[in-house]
Amino acid sequence: MKEISFITRRLLYGIVLVVGVTFISFLLMVYFGPDKTFELIGKNPTSQQIAEVRQSLGYDRPFLLRYVDYLFELGTLDLGLSDTSGEPVESVLARSLPISIALVVPGFILGNLLGLGFALFAAWNRGRWPDKLIMGASVMGMSISFLVIIIVLQVFLCTPYGLNIFPVRGWQVHDFSSYLHYVSVPTLALVLVTLGYNTRFYRAVMVEEIARDHIRTLRAFGASSFEILFRHVLKNSLIPVLTRVMFSVPFVLISGSLLLESFFGIPGIGLVTFNAITSGDQPILKAVVGLTGVLFVMALTLNDLLYGVVDPRVESS
Amino acid sequence: MLSGCGEPPSTQSEKPVKVYRHAMDGAPGSLDPAQAASVYANFMVVNLYDTLYRYKYLARPYRLHPNLAADMPTISMDGLQLTIPIKKGVHFIDDPAFENGIGREVRAQDFVYSIKRHFDPKTRAQGAWLWQNRIEGLDEWKSRGSNYDNEISGLRALDDHTIQITLTRPFPQLLHTLTQGYSSVVPQEAIDLYGQQLSSHPVGSGPYQMVSRDPVRAVLARNPAFRAEPFDLQTEGFDKPTQGGLGLEILQGRVPPFTDRLELEFITEDAARWNAFSAGEVHFIKVPVSQFDSVLSGRDPLALSPQFENIYQFRASQDAGFIYTNFNMADESIGYHPDQRQNDRNRLLRCAMVKAFDWEKRNEIFFYGIGRVFPGVLPPSVPEYDANGDSGYILRDLEGARKLLQEGEWNEDNLPVLEYGFPNSVTERQIFEQFRNFMMDIGYPPEKIRPLIFATYGDYQRAYSQGKVTLINSSWTMDYPDAENNMQLYFGPNAAPGSNSSNYDNPEYNRLYRSASSLHESPERTRIYRQMNQLLINDCASITGISRTLLFLWDKQALMVPDRSFLGGYYLRFVEILDSTTVVP
Repeated sequence: MKEISFITRRLLYGIVLVVGVTFISFLLMVYFGPDKTFELIGKNPTSQQIAEVRQSLGYDRPFLLRYVDYLFELGTLDLGLSDTSGEPVESVLARSLPISIALVVPGFILGNLLGLGFALFAAWNRGRWPDKLIMGASVMGMSISFLVIIIVLQVFLCTPYGLNIFPVRGWQVHDFSSYLHYVSVPTLALVLVTLGYNTRFYRAVMVEEIARDHIRTLRAFGASSFEILFRHVLKNSLIPVLTRVMFSVPFVLISGSLLLESFFGIPGIGLVTFNAITSGDQPILKAVVGLTGVLFVMALTLNDLLYGVVDPRVESS
Repeated sequence: MLSGCGEPPSTQSEKPVKVYRHAMDGAPGSLDPAQAASVYANFMVVNLYDTLYRYKYLARPYRLHPNLAADMPTISMDGLQLTIPIKKGVHFIDDPAFENGIGREVRAQDFVYSIKRHFDPKTRAQGAWLWQNRIEGLDEWKSRGSNYDNEISGLRALDDHTIQITLTRPFPQLLHTLTQGYSSVVPQEAIDLYGQQLSSHPVGSGPYQMVSRDPVRAVLARNPAFRAEPFDLQTEGFDKPTQGGLGLEILQGRVPPFTDRLELEFITEDAARWNAFSAGEVHFIKVPVSQFDSVLSGRDPLALSPQFENIYQFRASQDAGFIYTNFNMADESIGYHPDQRQNDRNRLLRCAMVKAFDWEKRNEIFFYGIGRVFPGVLPPSVPEYDANGDSGYILRDLEGARKLLQEGEWNEDNLPVLEYGFPNSVTERQIFEQFRNFMMDIGYPPEKIRPLIFATYGDYQRAYSQGKVTLINSSWTMDYPDAENNMQLYFGPNAAPGSNSSNYDNPEYNRLYRSASSLHESPERTRIYRQMNQLLINDCASITGISRTLLFLWDKQALMVPDRSFLGGYYLRFVEILDSTTVVP
């Protein structure tokens, strides 16, 4: 009962949040976003033709009416047609969202698991050479541009100038083997670029935990490193870890990884969103913004529930 | 991870499928022919739909050839009425839009319907400008409410296989407009069923039909019902001295399309496009300028590096258009001014800026030094180009520029502030900085040439159409191979928001344009166009221009003559992919 009341309160709070986010985003889109009129008119247009296009885009309607329509569209999931391709927005999302998820999930999981592993190892060896080596490598990884990593990996793994064992681009996935064929290099790039950030963040959390009294007591009792690290340090560090992971999920799912999708020719939601931003495709943008807001609220709610699971003190409070 | 190495498992049937993979440097938007405004959309649309005419595959200069039309038109003595027969037995692809899902025959009425759509506001069409005020009754049809039940006197289907077009005045370029994707024939049933979604669900009668499409690629499959018309080298304008080494002879007598499947990859990033080509994932690439150094071993003449000679075919092609910087002539600070004295001073200022512009450096830095610089709006690709034209207009002359400034009594203090517009990109910013540097060499204070940056090209276009930009850096891609398409860029009545972004309005230029509008390409028209070009030069209305040289590379396994200008996507039906056992003569 307590949980239901909590979830209800959270969801109500979430609705207010979604309305706020969509209102501000819509305001920005309408008044500061690209105007598509001149991209959709032919050469030598008359003022009548310009007015016709503006009317067909709905630009001539009052802002509030357009915003109410937008909320209605979100509520009914009838998101209209893309201004650029004419395709139903629902179809675009249904096609591209699963691809982005399939693309980034392995890298996201690996990047976090490896980050946790390296962070534990570095924190346990704090100040000694393994710590310095891992931190040095992390800083190096963080310093190299994502773009450079992608291009180097492409050249090294996907072209005749290197090993030429993976495709440069594409996403013709029809079974697990072809999935591995297309996802491997993007995953490697994602892991390389996120590992440094994750390791540094998690190490800071672990170092703080390792310095606590109860860990010193455990060490004094002669507990094994494995038991200390995985049973006590990791478990007690889960709140910040969980927060970082959960808050990343909506952005990972929705924005995918624009650079990955763009350079590896993967038709995910990140690329769709980027194209919509640069071309001023408002129906797509409105859907993505709304969806991000909803996912964010869901992640927030789930995050709060999970806090109670990993730390009973949170639940009782 | 390594289990994913190597070729992905095949899902193909036993029969070998011939696939041509083509890299495009941009993605098409809508594939509704009425909205096929971009080069990329047009490239695809002409493969999915039929147009009445196309250009011959191999003939240069470009020559018209019947496509869906059965023959060239019969033209009345006054040039105002064209009667066009269309081929019998041509069918649309099978689609749920048709009764029992079976594509019906293409009829003359479909063409009439397709052109009407451009004049229906609901279509959000972009091709109406081609026929606006040209076809009898068409504009009136729109003003009466675009009711498809109403007939148009100048656009009629005499029977199922005969079209009659009546013009309001002679329009020699009409047939060129009928090669464009805009004029593709669309069945009304498809519009009734799909409406706006036709843009992602093409229903045509072209050589290919859509299999799938997403933001990074499109897959087209051969239309099994496409009419069987054997390929003939001579008819297509084969030129043995220049095209003899390409192996095209083996295509003689065979029926296009020669490939079963087209895979069009939309790769906007140069590095990714080049990597995909190097890895053999695509057969063709328009070489990015960043790779010119590695691809070319010489610039004059253009020669391919030895490392690529054995694996790739190579072709250089002049871009069908040019790049220029217009002065906004409607801006009194630099353009026309009611006060004659100030008007003359403004002209001197513009001419000084033209002289300060360094085309050699522009060409070297942004076009690898292989672009073609020419004075005015008649580029080397049109027959009216004058090799002995006013070359002084494109030569840098700082001394001459300073003299003109002095003559106009311009100095650091009284020079006007200029707003130089461009859409946001690194290259555009670099081009602006270079321009500003050129002008600083004649004493123009840098703070008086201000960048005006826009998020998208559409926003930029809106700004200059509303007169908010003083210096308009732009490019023009010709719609058809006729210089008229360039001359109209400075025709007064086409001023912004029309294509005359400079708002140039010279009564003599306008008079000459009108007098030449009914003329076909001829010595008389050439004389007039050159005279108009000189007027533009004398008025210093634009800093123009350069025509890019494009480099194409393609796998030797692919037999083809690629084209990115007027022929465009039409050549895809003639691409042949050889298997390893085929011997090319």
